[in-house]
Amino acid sequence: MSPLWIVRRIGFYVLITVVLAFFAVPMLWLASAPFDTKPGLGLRWPDWTFANVSATFDHPFTLSSLVNSLILCAIATVVTTVLAALAAYALSRVRIPGRDLLLYLLLLLSSVVTGTAAMVPIFVMMLQLGLINSQFGTALVIAGGMLPAAIFILKDFVDAVPRSYEESACVFGASPRQVLSHVVLPVARPGVATIFVWAFVNAWGNFLLPFLLLRDVGQQPAAVLLRTLYDEGGSANLTVIPVFSLLYSIPVVVLYLFVSKRYGFRFHGGIKS
Amino acid sequence: MAGITIAALSTVYPNGVRAVDSLDLEVADGELFALLGPSGCGKTTLLRTIAGLEGASEGVVSIGSRDVTRLQPGERRVAMVFQDYALFPHMTVAENIAYPLRVRGVAKSVQQETAVRTAEGLSLGALLDRRPGQLSGGQQQRAALARAVAASAEVLLLDEPLSNLDARLRLEARTFLKKLQRELELTTVFVTHDQAEALALADRIAVMDAGRIRQLGTPREVFQRPADTFVANFIGSTPMNLVPRDDVVLGVRPEYLAPAAEGLFTGSVSIVENLGVTSLVTLDCGEDQIGYIVPEDSEPSIGAVVTVGAPAARVLRYDKETGLLVR
Amino acid sequence: MDSSGLGVRRAVAFVAPALVLIGIFLVFPALWTLYIGITNYQLTGPAAANPQVVGLDNVLEAVRDPLFTNSVWLTALFVLFSAVIGQNVLGFALAWLLRSVSPWLRRTIEGLVLLSWILPSTVVAFLWFAVLSRDTGTLGLLLGSPETSWLVQYPMTSLIIFNIWRGTAFSMLLYTSALAAVPPSQLETARLVGASGWQTVRDVVFPHIRGHVLTNTLLISLWTANDFTPFLLTSGGPNHQSEVLPVLIYRQALEGGQLGYASAMSLLLLVGNLVIALIYLRLLRRRA
Repeated sequence: MSPLWIVRRIGFYVLITVVLAFFAVPMLWLASAPFDTKPGLGLRWPDWTFANVSATFDHPFTLSSLVNSLILCAIATVVTTVLAALAAYALSRVRIPGRDLLLYLLLLLSSVVTGTAAMVPIFVMMLQLGLINSQFGTALVIAGGMLPAAIFILKDFVDAVPRSYEESACVFGASPRQVLSHVVLPVARPGVATIFVWAFVNAWGNFLLPFLLLRDVGQQPAAVLLRTLYDEGGSANLTVIPVFSLLYSIPVVVLYLFVSKRYGFRFHGGIKS
Repeated sequence: MAGITIAALSTVYPNGVRAVDSLDLEVADGELFALLGPSGCGKTTLLRTIAGLEGASEGVVSIGSRDVTRLQPGERRVAMVFQDYALFPHMTVAENIAYPLRVRGVAKSVQQETAVRTAEGLSLGALLDRRPGQLSGGQQQRAALARAVAASAEVLLLDEPLSNLDARLRLEARTFLKKLQRELELTTVFVTHDQAEALALADRIAVMDAGRIRQLGTPREVFQRPADTFVANFIGSTPMNLVPRDDVVLGVRPEYLAPAAEGLFTGSVSIVENLGVTSLVTLDCGEDQIGYIVPEDSEPSIGAVVTVGAPAARVLRYDKETGLLVR
Repeated sequence: MDSSGLGVRRAVAFVAPALVLIGIFLVFPALWTLYIGITNYQLTGPAAANPQVVGLDNVLEAVRDPLFTNSVWLTALFVLFSAVIGQNVLGFALAWLLRSVSPWLRRTIEGLVLLSWILPSTVVAFLWFAVLSRDTGTLGLLLGSPETSWLVQYPMTSLIIFNIWRGTAFSMLLYTSALAAVPPSQLETARLVGASGWQTVRDVVFPHIRGHVLTNTLLISLWTANDFTPFLLTSGGPNHQSEVLPVLIYRQALEGGQLGYASAMSLLLLVGNLVIALIYLRLLRRRA
């Protein structure tokens, strides 16, 4: 072990520590502020209390906004997963005329037309359709935005399922419906689960579209309410915000833990090198 | 039980490639038949066309007396074992074996019974509750065979049945497969690129190239009298010596050559390769390299000049232009 | 014959619902941007009920508008420093360095990096208020200058640091899987001939992952250019100093009510996205 080696080793671990701190320090607020008697926009060792929790539950809109988030998310996620699964399967297995062009356009669309770039026409369209403040309408907009990417990721999954599985079932006399329910769906389940979680996390965190389209505080999901709590009355409601942030983050963290335990947090295709 | 009749069959891919080119073939009832050829020769496409997984562009496929050309794969009463076995990963071995019965809506108890009986027959009895991922390669292959057997089809189709096994296991599986086929007396067609496998297993072999059959015959016929230089090159574990002489090409297998006083070729020994119980000796004869097989412990030394010859019946003559056997 | 036995007609029926939804909520708005962009459409007032076509005036006005040019410049800085340099370099460094640390440390760091990526953006905004705010903010306390209000005094720098924190996970994941595809025998060969870490990266690793670098850079650039989170942190302020394009478009459209004008700016953002995406697909095709 030369001195140079030791110096490099120390440098390496200093670097790792700095990176660790960079990513960890901002998170600590979420652990301390919710349980502090005087929560603020800063980090300090909390003066432990649960008073903020009950204050948060007493707030008129917190629980209902979480329910709104759940509704919005459930619709968007189910629509995305089901439609993407159907489309990905058909596009993977059948040479529909114009398939390659369609896939190319989908790839282009999914990257080019973002919620941000199309926010004005989406807002105007929903305004004219009278769908402002409609949770269902907003959920469909969110689903529409997620679909191209979802189709792509799922198609990669289905492409990786050997065709011999289906052919084998076919030779033994299975109908297309049986091939789908006995073989394809069970084998592609990790892919479908991945898309489900991916869509849920995306929809759960989406701020811009509900912020644009759900102007009534009673309809707003947690993402928007959290912002409203910060803006309303000119000062931030710091009793409610930390606990509410924590509550709102829990589903995402739980899902993340589930995915990383079950499947490992890896790239499941979708991203071609 | 039924034979297979194929008449003027062509399978053309959308890109215009004629993978099977107006091919005629008859497989007898109960026969173990090999489709042999290099990759891309159309043998797998032919097998898949028999199964109905590829549509025939022209011609007729019959099983027994039934014309199955336009039937769906599931209606043809064929069973198939795929190269990767295609065992469903989410089902147990028992569920996999019983799958053909499940599709037909057979009662659960009958499914279970058949799975157990079939598995016993293929010595899989202890593995019924395992999933395919927990089986060795040889066990997976037998499970796939068991599933095909359980389908009680009229024809069994095997796509490269032994290629996914390692060398030692392959010999074992080969013997097992032949024994199983003899017991079942089931018309069986298998595809292989391995000539030794075809020679060892099959009752008859069709050697294919470019969507057509180059030679059709018993293993002995194909080995002893290859119909053209393509087949001559393809069959045999040591390549056949093909030497231009006057207006023909002489073809002699290394196995039939032996040192002789008056011989066909004379040259100096350049390489000796040990093949176990025999050795392959290579002679430099001017421009040509001649290989011949000697028994163990009788290898010549490097540089020795040797003359080799063969019985007249084992020296084949091929046309220089067409490559066809001159009778 | 297809392996699924589905047939073209049923396949089309499977694809159609997804296409309808994409058509209504993605394709139509994109095309409509073209139309609204050439009108003087407004949220309220006379032009709301009866918009007039004003042609390319909006686009020309935008290009001359100092707010717009300022915004384009800020967006370019944002993309260059936070994505192309920041996330790319840190993501690769993490992927490369974490191969040689103990599994639990590796899992901890990866977990934190991923968490910063998947937490909802509104929550993340509060986390960073707590780091950057005046008097009580963590950064001020650490550096001993609590009187600094980082988001006001250094808004763009703050946003860039924030976005590196927020988005590095993607690059890390992508480079981790890319590195896994580099043949170990080549890395071992480099070690046998005594190559240093940097030489190994340059001569062995980089040629393998060049495609990944390109993919990664273009994707994170697109996402960063279209990211709305800066609105949650600074709302574009103070005095337009951090008004990246998405924020400017939002403020023009919904706070200023200038729907037509904002659409013209969206259009320019869409064109920018399109150019990046086409370059990407072009290069992807050439390699394929």
